[in-house]
Formats: sequence, C-alpha cells, structure tokens
Amino acid sequence: MRYAFFPGCTLESAAEELMISTMKVAEALGIELIELKGWTCCGASHIQDVDDFLATSINARNIALGEKLGVSKIITVCNTCTLMLRTAKAKLDQNKNLRAMVNEGLRSTGMQYKGNVEVTHLLWALIEDYGLDRLKEKVKRPLTGLKVANFYGCHILMPPKIMGFENHMNPQSMEMIAEVLGAESVKFDQRLACCGFHAVFPAEKEVMKLTGMNCLSPKASGADCLITPCPLCQMQLDAYQPDAQKGFSKDITMPVLHLPQLIGLALGFSPQELAIQRHVVDAIPVLTENVLV
Amino acid sequence: MRTIHYKIKRFDGKREWYQDYQLQYEKGKTILWALTAIREQLDPTLVFTSACRHAICGSCAIKVNGKSFLACKTSLDEVLETFKSDNLVFEPLSNFEVIKDLAIAWEPKMEKMKQVKPWIIPSNKGNAERGFIQSEDDFHEISSPTDCILCGVCTSECNQLAVNDGAYLDPFILNRAYRFSVDSRDCAPEEHIRPVYENELWKCIHCMQCISSCPKGIPLTDEIAYLRQESIKIGEVNNQGAKHAFAFYDDIRNKGRLNETMLPIKTDGLIKTATTKIPFALRMIKKGKINPFHMPKAIEGIKGVKEIYKYAEEVKHP
Repeated sequence: MRYAFFPGCTLESAAEELMISTMKVAEALGIELIELKGWTCCGASHIQDVDDFLATSINARNIALGEKLGVSKIITVCNTCTLMLRTAKAKLDQNKNLRAMVNEGLRSTGMQYKGNVEVTHLLWALIEDYGLDRLKEKVKRPLTGLKVANFYGCHILMPPKIMGFENHMNPQSMEMIAEVLGAESVKFDQRLACCGFHAVFPAEKEVMKLTGMNCLSPKASGADCLITPCPLCQMQLDAYQPDAQKGFSKDITMPVLHLPQLIGLALGFSPQELAIQRHVVDAIPVLTENVLV
Repeated sequence: MRTIHYKIKRFDGKREWYQDYQLQYEKGKTILWALTAIREQLDPTLVFTSACRHAICGSCAIKVNGKSFLACKTSLDEVLETFKSDNLVFEPLSNFEVIKDLAIAWEPKMEKMKQVKPWIIPSNKGNAERGFIQSEDDFHEISSPTDCILCGVCTSECNQLAVNDGAYLDPFILNRAYRFSVDSRDCAPEEHIRPVYENELWKCIHCMQCISSCPKGIPLTDEIAYLRQESIKIGEVNNQGAKHAFAFYDDIRNKGRLNETMLPIKTDGLIKTATTKIPFALRMIKKGKINPFHMPKAIEGIKGVKEIYKYAEEVKHP
C-alpha cells in the first residue's frame, strides 16, 4: 500500500511526536508513505477568511503534487488538513469554471489540478483500505483493560457533504479501531464535541471552558485516556489543559493520545518509541498501570 | 410488535423532568408524527410548536438524542438508523430560553437580530413604490440565504453559543447580515457587517455544525468567511482573529509553511504573548512537545506559490 503523505505543519513542529508515531506505525503495518515534495500549509481553516480563492488554489497545488506521484490517494493524519484538501477538491471537481481559473493560476508552476487522486485520513484508510482483520493480525500487545474515550474532532466528520466517510451524528470508526486493538471504548457526552482550537486566540475564555468540559466528561465515564485522530484537538486538550484547569474546581486531568500512538502501543512499541513522553499531561502512568505490565 | 421508547424533557416553568412514552413502530413516519401521536393519544399536556408540516414555517425543531432536527422534515426511520436504537430522547433546542416543554422563546433572538439591520437599506436605483430591477445573477446571490426559515437548528448546534456570554450572534443572524449585505438593492452593506464584526464575529470556532445541520443546506460557514473578509475590507484588521488569519496567509506566501513559534506573537503581539503565553510555551518546550527553534525553511517551489498569490490578487482586483 502506497500513499502520498501530506504531513501538515504541526507534524514538523508542535506535534512532532505524531510524525514519529505515524512513521513507526506505517512501517510496522507495511504502509508506504511518500511525503509530498514542497507541500504548503493547508491554510488551517483560517486562510479562507482572508481569501477563499487562494485557499482553493494552494490546496489545488498540494493535491496536484500528489497527482504527480501516480498514487490513488493522498493521506493525512490531521482532521483540518483533510478538511481543507477535501474542500478544495470538492469545489474544483464540481465547478468547471473555478477549476479553469485555478489551473490558470497554477500554470506558472508547471502544475495542473486534474482531479484524479482522493484525499483520505489514516483512520479511514485503516478501515477502508488496510482492513480491520489485517490490523488485528498485527496486534502484539492487546490493550486489554485500557478504557479509551474516542474524541473524533469536528473536521473529520463535517460537513458530511465534504467528509462523508461515516454518519457524522453517530460515527463508529474510532470504536472499531479501539476494539481491534483490544481496548474498551467508554461512552461519554463530549465524544463528538468541538475542541475549540481554531478560536483559542479570539475566544480564549470560551475555548478553555470547552477544554475543561472535554476532559471532565470522559473522566466521569471512567476513561483512562482520550484518543484523537487530530493533532490540533490533541494540542488543545493536552497542552492547554493546565490553563483550562484554572476555571474548574474539580480535577480535570486527562491524558490525551494521538490515534497512531494507541495503535503503536498495540503493535508492541514502547511509549518512548512513540514519543508519548512529550505530552504535557503524562500518559505513561496510566499506560504502565493498564497495558505495559 | 416493535415499540419505540420516547423520553421527553418536560418543563412547566419551574420544574424539569423526563417523561416516558411508548408508541408502536410505524414505517415511513416523521419525528413530528411521533410528537403529534404522543400528544393526541397519550398526553394532551405535552407542549411543542408546529404548523406547516412542510419545512416552511420552521417552528417544529427539537433535539433528538442530542442532535437538532426539523421534526417535520426528519424521517423517524432515519433517526432510528442513525442512533441504532429504539430509545429516543426528545429535548428542546439548546441555546434558547425554554418556555414550556419543547417550546422555545424566539423574542430575545429577534431583538438580537435587529442589530444587523435585517432589512434592505434601499439604493437610489429603486424604492418600495417603483420596485427594483434585479438581474438573474443578482438574485442568485441571495437565493440560498433567503431559504432560511428561522428554525433555530443552527443556533442549537453552535459550539460557540454553547459557551458564550450572549454577545456572539446566532448563525441564522449572521446569515441575515450576509443576505442583506450582498443584496443588489441594498446600498449600505457596511451597516449590516459592522454590527456583525462588533459582536464577536471572530469567535466562530469553524466547528462546521451549522452548515452540517441546516435543514435548508445554507452554506453558513462560507457566509461567515465572507463576513470576515468584508470586515477586513472595511478596515477591521487590528484584532486577534484577523491577525491570526493573516499569520497563516503571510507564512504560506513567504515560506510555504506555518511558523508555529511566531504564531502567538503575530496574533497577540510581543508584549501580550510574553505576559500570557510564557507558561504555555515553557511547558511545551520542557516536554519536548515543541522545538521553539524550528524555523521553517522555504519549501521547494516557493516561487510558484508566490505566483499563485499574485494571480489570486489579480482575480480579486481585476
């Protein structure tokens, strides 16, 4: 299995641990990830607020880089990157005039958007392309006894017309992966809540409230840790957790893992190999207690 | 015989409770059918609002198992399939004041909506007596936003409103501001846009709930992006939201990638960052979560990216 890999900016900087764990997991599963040469930031759901035509254009360029590689899919591990690339693709595939205009802008780069690759996320690819049975065969250390709270994040689900992998009102993909890995998924109110990351500067007070609620809810359901397929949700819920705690009298402590780190643990990697020690809220004690014995 | 179990949130003005009802399953019904059947067959005291039964009046929206739906337009089978359960919980819409049971108060929202002047401020090309001539293209600009039936589903699903003190405008109000600001008969778009900007426009979190739940398929998040672009055009650039968006815009043009270390400084300025973000930065650095010295180098093909920007500028200002 070969994919064109679009890492996105956080994997180079504030979520390097996701780059490390993604690469480890891909290698162990025999998935080849070919990083796009010269990819740009997707615009992170902000750039269209300055110029929406430009948002489509830079992502047409990103997709065109993947088209040149001769693979059928571009893969990401970030919800927002997936949304931005898929939004551009949907617009370009549905609107011939827009596509012609965008391609006119790409002409000087020697590239062209053709529309012949799909954009997927690792979570989807594992289910759709790799197969849960095959994943199950690779499990060396079943995560028996570990109670996980699956926090999807908005941009892997919505808008359904653009994302549409599963019903956005009651998705099951994360629970399916957790089950294969041997972990127990807990039910909690904030499973489909918003992490608030994209407004953490202009709406800091409100977003900190969301962060606290998003940690308290899985805690009340007895979760050992929260799992997310998005590095932005992870950063919001983990790195801002001490700030969010200030607004809550109850202890909100909740370790937050990236999806590939959870998979990596089941594949037999140590927390250090998956760079789990880099998270602000220490996840290692709860993992030691439950799965690393 | 298959039985569907309904748990409905009741409120009598003082007391709140959940009440259980059961109805035999019937194929091809709507949520509104269930509400009506419960009131007619089981409990005449149950209060909910509805009128047209054709997704025109917008009065029957409620929450089912935590998600908001227009009751007359939503198939019961679809909801049962979505939640894979024969147990349904009906509640009033969120982010509204509740009057009784499932009935919500619209008056405070209408008062709030007046701020964006949800009416045409007529240009001198016409008036109420003579009318206006609108081209087909002009009409298409407003045809989607005028589909709004004020059902409140977007408000109920809005993640910002769920934690906001009350100033932030409901998505349907933002839609009204958009609708009149792009109307060819209106001569003062700024009068609709400025109040939107002044009421926390940049607090929208981009969660995509409004666009995903609108029963009329109105592209609300695209409209919010437009309102933000227009607020920038009228000069409102010196705020966290606009500065944050420009940080991405500028970084992509200059290097192709985001400089995460500089992002807070570009958004909040050096002084505010130094006084408020230091503990956050230190805990990230201490754990190795971020490398503050990572400065993105220009990507391969950055010249082409700059050309794309130049072209986008030409498209915007022909």
